Amino acid sequence: MCDWCMKHGAGKKWYMNAKNYSDQLAKDLNLEDYLTEQWMNFETVFIRKIMGLSSIGLGYKLKMPIIGRVIRRVVEGMIHKEETKKRNPMRADGHFGQVIPLEDGKIILSELAAEPIIENYCMCRWMQRGKKEAVCINFGILSEIIEKLPRFIPKNRVVRIDREEAMQRLEEHNKKGYIASVWFQPVPYICAICSCESPECGGLRLRNNFDLNVVYKAEYIIQLDQDKCEGCKACVSMCQFSAIRYIPSIDRVIIDYDKCFGCGICRHACKNDALRLIPREEYPGFDGKY
Amino acid sequence: MSKTKIIIDYSKCGENGKVDPRDCHKCLEVCDPCVFLMHEALGYKEEDPYNPQHWRITPVWPSVCTRCFYCVKACPEKAIKISW
Ligand code: SF4
Ligand code: SF4
Ligand code: SF4
Ligand code: SF4
Ligand code: SF4
Repeated sequence: MCDWCMKHGAGKKWYMNAKNYSDQLAKDLNLEDYLTEQWMNFETVFIRKIMGLSSIGLGYKLKMPIIGRVIRRVVEGMIHKEETKKRNPMRADGHFGQVIPLEDGKIILSELAAEPIIENYCMCRWMQRGKKEAVCINFGILSEIIEKLPRFIPKNRVVRIDREEAMQRLEEHNKKGYIASVWFQPVPYICAICSCESPECGGLRLRNNFDLNVVYKAEYIIQLDQDKCEGCKACVSMCQFSAIRYIPSIDRVIIDYDKCFGCGICRHACKNDALRLIPREEYPGFDGKY
Repeated sequence: MSKTKIIIDYSKCGENGKVDPRDCHKCLEVCDPCVFLMHEALGYKEEDPYNPQHWRITPVWPSVCTRCFYCVKACPEKAIKISW
């Protein structure tokens, strides 16, 4: 379990704690205005200047001596921010996420997520790839806020979905190769399960390109049963993190465990049941490495 | 490697240009590393702030640009310039 679980999990994983999804929490934290402001301006978060600096050219800025280190601290501090009073919606304070396997996503959707549940257009794919694809599942008060923003709402179909449908959709997205992730928005309120791809996803971008820890790897890690692998390579193309490689001389795949986010997507491709997820803490070298 | 500079001519594409990037966004589609960001132009008084109508493209992640020039070739307005 990670530091978020210690603080917000009540003995469980942070995203398995029902309290973090409740309307009451959203009310107590006064989140309606905060989330409305944030979502009205979502595409501008990376370009707004905060303390004189925006994220434009972040890769170069981070390489600058001293200033780079300061920026790193500020960005990570923002995303991890817990003080509710000083949070700024324009810079996505407290919008921290974690990759989850399909199974955990289904538990969230079946019993924890607050209603109404909606499926709306992914804003990252829209602002970074120009694609509108309805793969983001949102809950509770955030659903009602997003419904007021026409650019995120598919026109020709029902946006509100029930728990069964939500689980089904998440499974479809997952099997297609999209990585499920769950988000604080802001800490400790949880109101979204996304189905991401990289490099479109803003959160994975900050992590993969700039090593900013705004999204954690899953509580799980993949395990390969070497005897079962027949070297068909089907799993290789599924992994968004380049963690699987085919090695001709041994005619099987190998895993780069450092790169594995534990999303479990590769499992969908394997006909031989050679890939399964194990809890990260059961793998001594990777326990605690989120 | 020297810094890559990517410049968009906003007189051709953007809130004041003749192309609305929401209709085109070719540069977003061809850019493998997703260097570009499409967003509401800042500082506009939108008639309906829930449904903003003034959009532009910002090359937000130039450090991951591979200098493939696909965007330059794909842009129907020749609005993108890349140098280093
Ligand atoms: S976090 Fe993932 S699914 Fe959510 S908006 Fe971004 S890319 Fe889309
Ligand atoms: S190897 Fe790891 S990161 Fe890659 S698809 Fe499998 S679980 Fe996900
Ligand atoms: S899909 Fe399964 S059998 Fe095929 S290469 Fe991957 S692990 Fe091996
Ligand atoms: S040159 Fe290639 S990598 Fe660079 S911005 Fe254009 S399309 Fe993207
Ligand atoms: S390809 Fe050119 S015209 Fe089209 S959105 Fe991009 S910059 Fe604008």
